[in-house]
Amino acid sequence: MSTTYVNGRSIPAATQPNTLLVHWLRDALGLTGTHLGCDTAQCGACTVLLDGLAVKSCSVLAVQASGRHVTTVEGLARPDGTLHPVQDAFIACHGLQCGFCTPGMLMSTVALLAQNPRPSEADVVQALEGNLCRCTGYVNIVAAVHQAAATLRQEAATLQQESTTLSQETA
Amino acid sequence: MNAPDSFTQAGRYGSGHTVRRIEDPALVQGQGRYTDDVMPAGQLFLRFVRSSFAHGRIHSIHTAQAQAMPGVVAVYTGADLAAAGVKPLAPAGGFKQPDGSAMNPPPKHALAVGTVRHVGECVAAVVAESREAARAAADAVLVDIEPLPAVADAVAALAAGAPLVWEGAPGNVLAEMQHGDAAATIAAFARAQHRISLPIVNQRLAPSPIEPRAVLAYIDEGRLTVRLSSQMPTGVRGGLVHCLSGVSSARSNDNVRVLVGDVGGGFGMKTALYPEDVVTAYAALHLQRPVKWQAERVEEFLTAVHGRDLLSRAEMALDAHGKVLALRIRSWANVGALPTGAGVAIQLLIGPWVTTSIYDIETIHLQISAVLTHTAATGAYRGAGRPEAIYTLERLFDAAARELQMDAAEIRRRNMIRPDQLPYKNPMGQTYDSGNFEQLLDQGLVLADWQGFAARRADSAQRGLLRGRGIATFLEWTGGNALEENVQVRITADGHIELTSATMAMGQGIATSYAQLAVDVFGVPIERIRILQGDTDRANGFGSAASRSLFTGGAAALVASQRAVEAGKPLAAGALEAGVADIEYAAGRYSVAGTDLGIGLFELAQRQPGGVILADGGAKASAPTWPNGCHICEVEIDPATGRTQVVAYASVNDIGRVISPGIVRGQVEGGAVQGIGQALCENVVYDAEGQLLSASFMDYALPNVDGFLGFKTAFDERMPCLTNSLGAKGVGELGTIGATPAVVNAVVDALVNAQKSAPKSVQMDSQTGAGQGRSAECLQMPLTAEAVWRALRGTYPPAVLPG
Repeated sequence: MSTTYVNGRSIPAATQPNTLLVHWLRDALGLTGTHLGCDTAQCGACTVLLDGLAVKSCSVLAVQASGRHVTTVEGLARPDGTLHPVQDAFIACHGLQCGFCTPGMLMSTVALLAQNPRPSEADVVQALEGNLCRCTGYVNIVAAVHQAAATLRQEAATLQQESTTLSQETA
Repeated sequence: MNAPDSFTQAGRYGSGHTVRRIEDPALVQGQGRYTDDVMPAGQLFLRFVRSSFAHGRIHSIHTAQAQAMPGVVAVYTGADLAAAGVKPLAPAGGFKQPDGSAMNPPPKHALAVGTVRHVGECVAAVVAESREAARAAADAVLVDIEPLPAVADAVAALAAGAPLVWEGAPGNVLAEMQHGDAAATIAAFARAQHRISLPIVNQRLAPSPIEPRAVLAYIDEGRLTVRLSSQMPTGVRGGLVHCLSGVSSARSNDNVRVLVGDVGGGFGMKTALYPEDVVTAYAALHLQRPVKWQAERVEEFLTAVHGRDLLSRAEMALDAHGKVLALRIRSWANVGALPTGAGVAIQLLIGPWVTTSIYDIETIHLQISAVLTHTAATGAYRGAGRPEAIYTLERLFDAAARELQMDAAEIRRRNMIRPDQLPYKNPMGQTYDSGNFEQLLDQGLVLADWQGFAARRADSAQRGLLRGRGIATFLEWTGGNALEENVQVRITADGHIELTSATMAMGQGIATSYAQLAVDVFGVPIERIRILQGDTDRANGFGSAASRSLFTGGAAALVASQRAVEAGKPLAAGALEAGVADIEYAAGRYSVAGTDLGIGLFELAQRQPGGVILADGGAKASAPTWPNGCHICEVEIDPATGRTQVVAYASVNDIGRVISPGIVRGQVEGGAVQGIGQALCENVVYDAEGQLLSASFMDYALPNVDGFLGFKTAFDERMPCLTNSLGAKGVGELGTIGATPAVVNAVVDALVNAQKSAPKSVQMDSQTGAGQGRSAECLQMPLTAEAVWRALRGTYPPAVLPG
């Protein structure tokens, strides 16, 4: 039996050929953080990571995720409950109001920052072009992405410093 | 025990501070609880069969084939519902036909009976064990509809010999209303030095919260329970009881419970009861099983209420100095085929209330017709009547400024109500309590660097771009004339303070604002406060709409919290063996004055029967609030493509006392982007036969992240509201109302002045006399790249008005 890896867990892969990934995540796995907002791949509320890339789960069949890694918004926080820096930045910058588009915004942002740790405003705009928000006017969303990028860069620098120190000590 | 150790930090979370919203930790972790996230075991899926014609006679509906398909549990038609005793939705009312008789709208059946009157009207419903089975079976329902001629806009509906939408509305005029003094207005126009006349189109919009409507109905302990995405749970309950009272076990409010969890945006669209709600509830009653209907986006475009859709001939009379002598506005509102009460009231009454805005204009004559067409109903959408009225007036002011060759800010200043005129009663009989409109204007001009515009325009021209500047100074009405709220407080032994309110969260952060007000009273960290909403078993009221929640529900939260502290004093006196008069409260602790004797709030709760301290309290505002603002926008237009970009936006806003600074800024700026959407891109389009052409986000252009992000937003708190105990004024709709006229005025300004500042290619066009000057005042929304590009070449769409 083939497997799909969802938020790091091995799950028997979907077998229904006509089930969308978003419905499988929500109905079969109870991962209701991934939302369905438009049915035509415009709004991006259903965005998840498929092998690290942001995809709209309303436009992917569940069976296509077989053998692959899916990350949903439920998989962002650390196991100890600490919020992911992107989640924290959205709260800190008031980057959400009703919260319905937010999981998609978060996943698109995580995908962007994995590729591009220091995005320009144009980069952010391009990365979020496929995500609609009706509440915020996007102002605070873009601010949150920049804040999250800064936090992640700082974390990466700290990690690097620690490992350098460690290797020096070992040497 | 349970004594929180960080109470001294609590002050940082009270009113007036920007805090992390208490709603957010769940929402960013995918732990929100929107309606479709609740999936009870054995849940059935409901799918509607909808009319594909705008107007037609239903000859037959064959359901046998669908009924026999695997997984299908039930198929319903309008006849089935009528036979079961389901009544049509409560009709819109309260207004009169032109001949003075009461308005007489068509019956709004939950499923169509006999006739269909707009594309998407529900004709039948299929309930099945799975989403896929419901879809397949809905496709197998055979509906034979004989198409009839249709009218899709007010002009067509009012034309001689137009097909009638409903025999109860002769000439397709459902209702009509006049305001003001016709004779005095004629006299004022006769003596005026200047007269302005503009056709104004407020196009139809789709509110488009990102969460589509959803309904889950089930039977809980013998009682109909309906969970849905709504701003008005109590109103929904009343509407369901009205429709289902003939069906056993839903006879009264006691037999129906409405629950609302997280709401993924409302914007007014989720205030009404919808036919889909009634059918889903009926199916659950009939089948005695949980039934879920989750709208697809196309269904939102087809049957969720639309906003605006008002055509106007707007006229302004002025003296030689720019003082407005009178306004005369003739408007036609397309309210759809099966109108909502709100949709009619918004255009006939609510918009007119602010028609003279912040200006001292004594003489008006308004005539508004509500016109039936074969389209979806209009209803509440962010601003609801005020955007239409303010847009109309602010367009007139800019045209008047050009006519008199005056500065656009100066002509407004000359007409503004002065502080010494407050309280001021406008010609619609509405009284403004507070404000300082000129003070806002002055601050707005500074924030926008009004004086520096010429240099920026020259700079844009250097880059081959046309720059324009627009201003809107305005006010709006808030409160929905539902000005009273009550809040229950429950202090629990486990260390929480719960406030229960009948107002409804829908993303506006109202829970955080209430919590901040409670922190002011209790002096505990905000994490200790919980806000409960969305359960008609716990609280009932008007719900959240018309920017009313903070100044009604927030005021009640404050009073109830104070009552709770007082309620604890005799209990503390008992626990501490002291006199009540000696008990003091601060920061989560009761103490005996002048001693170190004390007891924690939550410890005191634990000692009570049931482990709780209970209190409730209410507040009633004595009048609506009148938030107001000065919004100034600058745009750049690429003459090669017509693409318009907002490049600067400054606003100064008077919303009275600010409770949550971060939240209100988000409301104003997010709201402004919706207003920019109307100005530049959004448009619900039906073709002449009533087919909806803009039925997805591929065709309906919602503002995207590539728009403007650099708002300068300020608040002037020096004019608190005088008619409610908080001093707050509603903030939810202000940005939307101000942005539309500010942006459109900026684009018109750019086009009018293109000759002066334009690059060569456009100057050549202008030499033909086309595309420039005051002809640009004919521009109508949305100002898409194509509309602006054509305008630059002298082509304007004819603004067709009835008659």
